[in-house]
Amino acid sequence: MGAFDTVITYEKGTYIETDTGNKVSRKATIAGAANIILGGKSIIQTGSILRGDLRRSTAGQHVVISMGRYCLIGEGTVLRPPGKMYKGAFTFYPVRISDFVHIGPGCIIEAAQIGNGVEIGKGCILGKFVIIKDLAVLLPDTVLPEGTVVPSMSVWGGNPGRLVDTLPETYQETMEAKCKGYYQRFRLAS
Amino acid sequence: MTTLYACSHVDSPLPPLPPSYPSSSSSFSPLSNLYFCEECDAIRCNLCVAVEVASYFCPNCLFDVPTANVRADKNRCARSCFSCPQCSSSLSIQGTDPKGEASSSATFAPGPPYILVCSGCRWSSKEVGWEFEKPTGIALQSQKMNSLPETIQSEYDALKDHLEPYVSNATPPVSSAGAARRPSRHISQMTQMASKALNREVPGMSAISSRVRGSGSVLRKDGEQEKVGWDDLGEYGAKGSWKALGLERGLQDVETMRKLDHSGAGGLATLESRWGMSWELDKMSNAILPQRISLQTKLTKRCPHPNCRHLLIQPDVKSIRMKIKMVAMNYLPHIEIGRKRRRILGSDTLGYVDDSPTSSEEIERRRRERRRTRAPTAKEEDEEMDKPLRAGEVYIYKLALTNPLYDPIQIRLTQPHGPRNAPQPNHHLHIPTQHFTINALKDAWAYDEEDEQDDPAFGGSEAGVSEEGTVTSGTGTGTGTLSKKSRLNVLAGGSVREKRSRGETGVDKKGNTSVVGLEVEVSSEAKGKVEFDLEVRYTYRADEVVEQVDKVKEEYKTFTFWIRVNVGVVV
Repeated sequence: MGAFDTVITYEKGTYIETDTGNKVSRKATIAGAANIILGGKSIIQTGSILRGDLRRSTAGQHVVISMGRYCLIGEGTVLRPPGKMYKGAFTFYPVRISDFVHIGPGCIIEAAQIGNGVEIGKGCILGKFVIIKDLAVLLPDTVLPEGTVVPSMSVWGGNPGRLVDTLPETYQETMEAKCKGYYQRFRLAS
Repeated sequence: MTTLYACSHVDSPLPPLPPSYPSSSSSFSPLSNLYFCEECDAIRCNLCVAVEVASYFCPNCLFDVPTANVRADKNRCARSCFSCPQCSSSLSIQGTDPKGEASSSATFAPGPPYILVCSGCRWSSKEVGWEFEKPTGIALQSQKMNSLPETIQSEYDALKDHLEPYVSNATPPVSSAGAARRPSRHISQMTQMASKALNREVPGMSAISSRVRGSGSVLRKDGEQEKVGWDDLGEYGAKGSWKALGLERGLQDVETMRKLDHSGAGGLATLESRWGMSWELDKMSNAILPQRISLQTKLTKRCPHPNCRHLLIQPDVKSIRMKIKMVAMNYLPHIEIGRKRRRILGSDTLGYVDDSPTSSEEIERRRRERRRTRAPTAKEEDEEMDKPLRAGEVYIYKLALTNPLYDPIQIRLTQPHGPRNAPQPNHHLHIPTQHFTINALKDAWAYDEEDEQDDPAFGGSEAGVSEEGTVTSGTGTGTGTLSKKSRLNVLAGGSVREKRSRGETGVDKKGNTSVVGLEVEVSSEAKGKVEFDLEVRYTYRADEVVEQVDKVKEEYKTFTFWIRVNVGVVV
């Protein structure tokens, strides 16, 4: 699979590679890096914004954004934790992103949970506390209102987003191969 | 730029109809959507598999609904999941604080009454007067609140009671004689009338027919024949009359028209939002009630072959894993097309394009000639894959085949023969490398050791093929058959080496992927889509390797499938 996919290159010095193989653009805005966990081999592209500084107001260590392996945060995507009034105080809740998650360019994500093998097309808007279960596809320009639940093996699209299709049983393998392939093709320009 | 795989739909595997027949498209689907039955050794697709519901769940609260409850719940979530009547997204439950003091005093959570609110379009159930005392079990509460008017409900219940025995009785009653299949309720009135006509009394035959039919049916005293095995659905008498409700005066419609005058056409609910309603309600959009969210299913899929019925897909109810997953992706080589190049023809070779070839000999002659003359004269230019094709040009593509098996396989690529009087395709296809091998799938780290050198184990197995002699390369039905000698060479594994010595490698191997060339000559008057079918036959080592004391006997099997390649549109 992916025999004819072309290499995606970046200029030297524009991306920082971590020990675990994460590639983070120098032009990405990452606030509160101490509260963000990357699982390894994930790519954070130019212009994206990760709001790790929006943490729970109580004292102690809080993970705000946790991300698994082989994830992609597309160009200009904003990822911020959802927050709401709870017992009279405004509180942020953590974002959990599992492995093999591709988030396209220009998205705004305020989801609470994104499962394994989820592909989010470009320009999607995910409201607060959206839950996306394992293996789902959001077509480009989907808008999910606050608190929407996207079940496994489904395709969602439209504004407001609704279920439009189901995925074939092979989707897990397809998505994992796609994410691994993308990571391998994302290289330094030589 | 797609490659689709053919499914023969339970039929014995035969080449599908050529792309010029639009009906053939129904047998093609992407590889990721296909299944593979090991028992039948055949491809199965979503159109032909037998489907059973494994479990029901609500897509919003993800609750697994027991199958026994589904019917009583009318296939909708019986907990608290409602969809917005305006925008169909799911509604959330919100407490209200009518006194307006909870929001100011920070410690209090909003309390009853609870309402349903759409976070997408800000619709709230206050608009239709729905308010609840508890934030749980909304479906039950709404059912109590919103039962239909007494007359309608009692009529509905009576009708349901009347039909209940027929609905719940899944198998139609078998006639006592059991010999002939009688029409059941599933068969339309048309068939019943036809069978009545067949059973009609023929003058002079009554004595015989009554004797014959006497065994199967009983003649009643009054002479009317009892219909054994027929649905004896009694007459239903309505409890009330629609006239009693005053419907005949059309007051409802007058009311609707009056509202329409007030609101304009925009006030009318869209057809889409009224679609899912169980029965006719108010047509105005502000009066549409929220509906419970429809349940979704997980499906078990079986081989459709009547003698097989093996499970192809069995989902795990609790997780996304599959207990059984027989998908074609794990059996068939994955084929992709890419790397389009256009040949820039020299002035002396332009002549070929203009004369339209008539016989297969002519095409064959030209092919040989082209092969001879190719190297010095032809120049090639890379082109974007999505760029439209031009008539009268020759395009060269690369076809990548990826082996999903842990054994090396041998491929034969040919063009299937269509029906005799099929329309002429708008292009000619030339497959320079018809026979080649693909290395086995290995774990990622195993490849590095063996790159850049011939795999010795693989060479051995190839030799095994020719020595064993269980494999013959078919009857050579492809349009461009190789000579006997070169075919033997392929079996002996010499083709690659031979080609290399000639200075061109027909096959590019990398890991478990082999890449071969493909030439498409678009004819000068071509229009529309350029599509062609390829017959792919692959030879693999069967699992059952019989080991004897002194000799290892390996069995080789072949499997043939067809793919359809769409390379673009001619403008």
